[in-house]
Amino acid sequence: MTATHPEPAGNAEAQGRAPSSVAYDDWIVKAFVVATLLWGFVGMLVGIYIALELPFWPANLDSPYLTFGRLRPLHTNAVIFAFAGNVLFAGIYHSMQRLLKTRMFSDALSQIHFWGWQLIIVAAAITLPLGLSQGKEYAELIWPLDIAVAVIWVVFAVNFFGTIAIRKVKHLYVAIWFYMSMVLTIAMLHIVNNLALPATLTRSYPIYAGMTDALVQWWYGHNAVGFLLTTPFLGLMYYYVPKTANRPIFSYRLSIIHFWALVFLYIWTGPHHLLWSGLPDWVQTLGVVFSVMLWAPSWAGMLNGLLTLRGAWTRLRNDPMIKLWVVALTFYGMSTFEGPLMSIRDVNSLSHFTDWTVGHTHSGALGWVGMAAFASVYYIVPDIWKKKLYSRDLINLHFWLGTAGIVLYVVPLWVAGITQGLMWKDLDASGNLVHGAFMDTVRVLLPLYWLRLLGGLLYLGGLVVMIYNLVKTVRGEAAEPAAVPAPAK
Amino acid sequence: MTDEQVLGHADECDGIEEFDNPSPTWLNLMFLGTFVYAIFYFGWWHVWGNRSQAALYDAQVAAAEAAAPPEAKVALEVTPETVAAGQKVYTANCQGCHAADLTGATGPNLVDETWIHGGALEEIQQVIANGVASKGMPGWKPIIGEAKVNQVAAFVYDRSHQP
Repeated sequence: MTATHPEPAGNAEAQGRAPSSVAYDDWIVKAFVVATLLWGFVGMLVGIYIALELPFWPANLDSPYLTFGRLRPLHTNAVIFAFAGNVLFAGIYHSMQRLLKTRMFSDALSQIHFWGWQLIIVAAAITLPLGLSQGKEYAELIWPLDIAVAVIWVVFAVNFFGTIAIRKVKHLYVAIWFYMSMVLTIAMLHIVNNLALPATLTRSYPIYAGMTDALVQWWYGHNAVGFLLTTPFLGLMYYYVPKTANRPIFSYRLSIIHFWALVFLYIWTGPHHLLWSGLPDWVQTLGVVFSVMLWAPSWAGMLNGLLTLRGAWTRLRNDPMIKLWVVALTFYGMSTFEGPLMSIRDVNSLSHFTDWTVGHTHSGALGWVGMAAFASVYYIVPDIWKKKLYSRDLINLHFWLGTAGIVLYVVPLWVAGITQGLMWKDLDASGNLVHGAFMDTVRVLLPLYWLRLLGGLLYLGGLVVMIYNLVKTVRGEAAEPAAVPAPAK
Repeated sequence: MTDEQVLGHADECDGIEEFDNPSPTWLNLMFLGTFVYAIFYFGWWHVWGNRSQAALYDAQVAAAEAAAPPEAKVALEVTPETVAAGQKVYTANCQGCHAADLTGATGPNLVDETWIHGGALEEIQQVIANGVASKGMPGWKPIIGEAKVNQVAAFVYDRSHQP
């Protein structure tokens, strides 16, 4: 290891602020924050649009470019890789420089990472509505873009591990471990799942056939949830929760145990997406049992976050950022209980292919990923721009819009999913389907689809309030001198 | 909580301190419980339970066939009863491709002058029963049974031979 020992004393002054010799790269953090808010708005707006198309199909305006089938992957790619991706990069570039007390390894690599990632997002926003797709969920991008993603990811990885190599501290805080799990695993998943033989510039054939292809796809698909939307967000949690609450982490050893338990168990759970399929029974069983065993390590992360807030509970009443974290962690706990439950064969035979799955995804996405992202950005912006936060009341409004939006989104889809599942399983005395036409179920679900659209609108409204609040913050007055670390003594 | 000691890492963690509390007992028990569940679930399927997806499917089909009442025979003839019954079958299974008014969409028009595979009642029944694989029309006899095939054939014949 090339790590040099920190200067023994003096560094801890002003709550661990950098020694004045380190100039952090804050421009890159600002850039990723702006990209987060921009793509978050676009991605969620597309989500609203396709949520409208479900109960009101004429919204597709008879244009192939606006059909659900083409816009849905645009929505998922935008919110996962553009919104969540950019906020992770913002949080990582912000927190890792401070945790490791060093500027990023290479500013040039940071810039290539930023601009490359945004270009890929723009290319995705063009190709997906054109119908150019690999047809693999969350891996729709065509092969030239897949190569671009791999190259940019490697650029990021070199910069990331380079920064760890030149760090000025010896200890690696747990947040860095969680980030590391993302950098390594996403590279592996992305490359292995997208191995394909190009036929033309826009079309390719996967090197795997049939069931093998499906298994590799869901090994990728589920671990994208695990190592992009879970572990690095836990990393953000481990940095921004103690920072926001100004409290010590509840348990160091719990953070280590649940990190290793989580990353070891997660990687096996993909087959639970292929229950009751042509996948060999024993592989399905492995997917089931590893998903169930993942329950406790997931809850350990939630507990370590929530218990860190012990002693800060009174602030739950009047500090909206603490509230955002509590809701994020609670939804993390909720969806990591629901996930193992849905992985059990008998539950899955009811829930699979229904809107319950979509509701489950969104309780994780809106509840955990979204709220954690918002809470992190509310911390980062005043810190980086050195401004006083414009309005805590508006954060409170955002909190309520977001929370109400999630409830209005998730509850109707639970009802819809269970209704759908029961109707599909309904057989008459001679064994024929009672609801043989798919339309039968769609008609029943229409009111629930309108409700979910309303939930989505509230959630997007919250984001708009946030953008307004942050724009006012950046244009507003500078932070009070007291908040700026001054060289005391 | 009063005797909790921070580890003193703050210098190295941007000022973040850490306690080192033990993991809650109930969480440890839950973790162990899921391992026990995993062992039993695996054993139930693959060791002593000897279950398999294919065997479960066969058992369910056998049970359904044993429970199902014997299918009533429906003769292939155009009567008000067969036409009315056939209309229900048509709505549930056919109108997605052939349209509610039988004028066709993905599938061909059933009420114009042209019959691709013959317009006699028996010919219509044969196409419905066996399908036209190359055009995407499934054979419906194994799906809905011979009685319903005869009913929907009567319905289509009736509608296509309106004055």
